[in-house]
Amino acid sequence: MSLKSYLLNKSGHFGEYGGRYIPEMLIPVMEELEKAFYESKNDKNFLKELRNLYNNYSGRPTPLYFCKNLTKKLGGAKIYLKNEGLNHTGAHKINHCLGQGLLAKKMGKKRIIAETGAGQHGLATATIAALLGLKCIVYMGEKDYYRQRPNVFYMERLGAEVIPVKTGGRILRDAINEALRDLLANPKDTHYLLGTICGPHPYPVMNTYFQSIVGKEVKKQLKKEERRLPDYLVACMGGGSNAIGLFYEFLDDKNVKMIGVEAGGKGIKKENNKCTHAARFETGSKGVVEGFKSIFLQDENGQILDTYSISAGLDYSGIGPQISYLKDIGRIQTDYALDKNVLKAYEILAQNEGIFAALESCHAISRVIEIAPKLSKNKIIVVNCSGRGDKDLFITANKFDKENFQKYLSNFVKNG
Amino acid sequence: MANLMTHIVAGYPSLNESKKLVKIMVKNGVKFIEIQIPFSDPVADGKTILDANIKSLKNKINADDCLKLMKELKKEIKIPLLFMTYFNIVYKYGLEKFIKAASRAECYGLIIPDIPIDEESYENYIKLCKKYKLHAIQVISPITPIRRLKKIARVASGFVYCVSRYGITGEKDILNPDLEKYLKLVRRFIKKPLALGFGISKKAHIKAASKHADIVVIGSKIINIYNKAENNKLHEVEKFIRKVNSSLPS
Repeated sequence: MSLKSYLLNKSGHFGEYGGRYIPEMLIPVMEELEKAFYESKNDKNFLKELRNLYNNYSGRPTPLYFCKNLTKKLGGAKIYLKNEGLNHTGAHKINHCLGQGLLAKKMGKKRIIAETGAGQHGLATATIAALLGLKCIVYMGEKDYYRQRPNVFYMERLGAEVIPVKTGGRILRDAINEALRDLLANPKDTHYLLGTICGPHPYPVMNTYFQSIVGKEVKKQLKKEERRLPDYLVACMGGGSNAIGLFYEFLDDKNVKMIGVEAGGKGIKKENNKCTHAARFETGSKGVVEGFKSIFLQDENGQILDTYSISAGLDYSGIGPQISYLKDIGRIQTDYALDKNVLKAYEILAQNEGIFAALESCHAISRVIEIAPKLSKNKIIVVNCSGRGDKDLFITANKFDKENFQKYLSNFVKNG
Repeated sequence: MANLMTHIVAGYPSLNESKKLVKIMVKNGVKFIEIQIPFSDPVADGKTILDANIKSLKNKINADDCLKLMKELKKEIKIPLLFMTYFNIVYKYGLEKFIKAASRAECYGLIIPDIPIDEESYENYIKLCKKYKLHAIQVISPITPIRRLKKIARVASGFVYCVSRYGITGEKDILNPDLEKYLKLVRRFIKKPLALGFGISKKAHIKAASKHADIVVIGSKIINIYNKAENNKLHEVEKFIRKVNSSLPS
C-alpha cells in the first residue's frame, strides 16, 4: 500500500499512533473540522484559492537553491537547500496557516485561536487572521511571552490578542493546553489553528496535507535541475511539520533516504527532572497527551517532562504521530544535533552562502555538514531550511556578540 | 432524590490530608467521591484543580500511591470511590495492570475524560473495565449529538457524567440555563443515573441541578474553600458540605 495515501487516511491512526484522545466536548468540533477538510481537499475552488494565496501572498514556490560553495567546501555530496525561509512571515508555518484559515472561513468561524512557543506560528496565525478578517487570540507561555517580546509586538500590531499563560511550566505545552481549554469553552464559533502535525485527528493529516507542497515543489525543481530524485532528505523535527512537508512527496520513492534531526540541546541528559534536550527518539516513550498517541518525553509515571533547546520551535516534548510511525517502520532515520554544533552550522551557512537559517533549521544543516563529506560527489542531499534566521537575533547576538549587543541595548534603554 | 459527589486531588496538599478530606465528606453525607490521580497536563481542568495537580506532583504522588490510598480508604468506607485521571497515566502504568489493581483496591469506577468511545477498538478500555468489574464512567457534553448519545448509551456503566456547560472545571456564577432541556434529551437515550458537574458551586446551582440530575458533582469549589480557609481548613469544608447536603431535596 502507498505510504502517501496511508498517511492521509481518514481515521487518523498510523500504526499504533495518532487517534483522537480528547474530551467528548471536542469530538463534534473535530468531526466538523474533519468533514470540512476532506471535502475541501477535493474542492477545486478551495484548492484554487489556496494556490493563489500560496503563490501571490506567500511567494511560493520557494527556491530550491544549489549550495555551490558549501558543497565545494565539504567536498562530498551535492547540497540543495529548500528555502522555506523566503515565505511570507519567514517560515513554512504559513503553509498550514493559510490552509486552515480558509477552512475556518468556510466553516463560518469568527474566531481563531493558536498556541505559540517562540511566536513564529502565532505570527503566521495573526497574519492570516488579519488577511481573512478573523478575530485572533494567541496563547503563549508566560516565559516565552517575556523572552520573545519582538514577536508579541508584531502579533499585537497585526491585531491579535496575545495571552500569557501562567499555568504549569509557562511554556509551549502549557499554551497548547490553554488553547484546548479555550476551544472547550468556545466549541461553536472558534477554530483552533494548531501549528504542527500533532494534536487529535484531523490535525496531523490536515497539516501534513498543507505542508506537502514543500516536497512537491522540491521534486519538480530537482527534476528540472538534475533530472532525478534526491538521495537524502534532511529536516529538523520539533512537532514534525516541516519534516513531513519535505518527506511526504517522496515516501513511496524507496531509494530516497530521510533523516529527521531533533534538538540535542546541551546533551542527552536529565537534570532536576528536566530534559536538557528535546530528542524524543533518544529517551522518549509511548504516551497519549494533548489528544494523540505518539512518542513523548515523560517520566516513568507518565508525567510529561520539560524540554530544552536553543531553538524554541524544537523545544517540545511530543512529536507528530506519523513521524513516530515512519520511524517505527524504518522509513525515516532520526538523529539529533547539539546546540554548539547548531550555532556552528548557522555561521557556516551564513559565511559560505549568505543565508541566515533559523536555529531550528540549523539542526538539519548541522547534520548535512557532518554527512555530506562522507558521501560521494554524485549523491544529492536536499535540506529543508524551514525558516529564516532574523527572528533569532536576540539569541544569536547573545552567543556571538554579547558585549556589543548588551551595550547597544542598554544605550537604547537609556536614550530611547 | 439527588446525591452528592465530591472530588479531591490525591496528595493535595498531602496524602494524609486527602484521607481526612474523604472521611469528612463521607461523614457528612457525600455518596460518591472522585479521587483524582495527578497529571502534568490536565487539559479538562481549570486553574484550581490544575494547581492542585501540580502541587501533588511536587509531592511525588504517583498511581501506586493513589491505588494504596484507595485500598486503605475502602477498608473503612462503604460509599463508591472512583478514580479520575487522564489516559496517559493509566496507559503508562499499563492499562490492564491499572484496571486490575484498581478493581482489587475496590474502586467503583474510572472517570477518564480523554478516552472517547471512538478509540475503544484500539485500547479496549471499556472491555477491560468490564472484565475487572469496574465502571468505565462515560462523559457527555451539551453538544454531544444524538447519534453519539445512542452509542454511549450502549456502553454506559454505573452512571453517566454530564458536563453542565462548555468549558473546563471551575466555579462560575451562572449555571447553563438550558440544563433542563439538555438533561431531558440525554435521558431519552441514556437510562443510567446522570451526574451533573462543572461549575456547580452555589446553593442555587445545586438546587437547579438536583431537580434534573441524580448526582450533583462539586469539585473546584471544595478545593477553593480549603485553600481560602486560614485555619481549621477541614472544618470549613465540613461546614460547606453539610450546608450543601441540607439544600438537596430528599
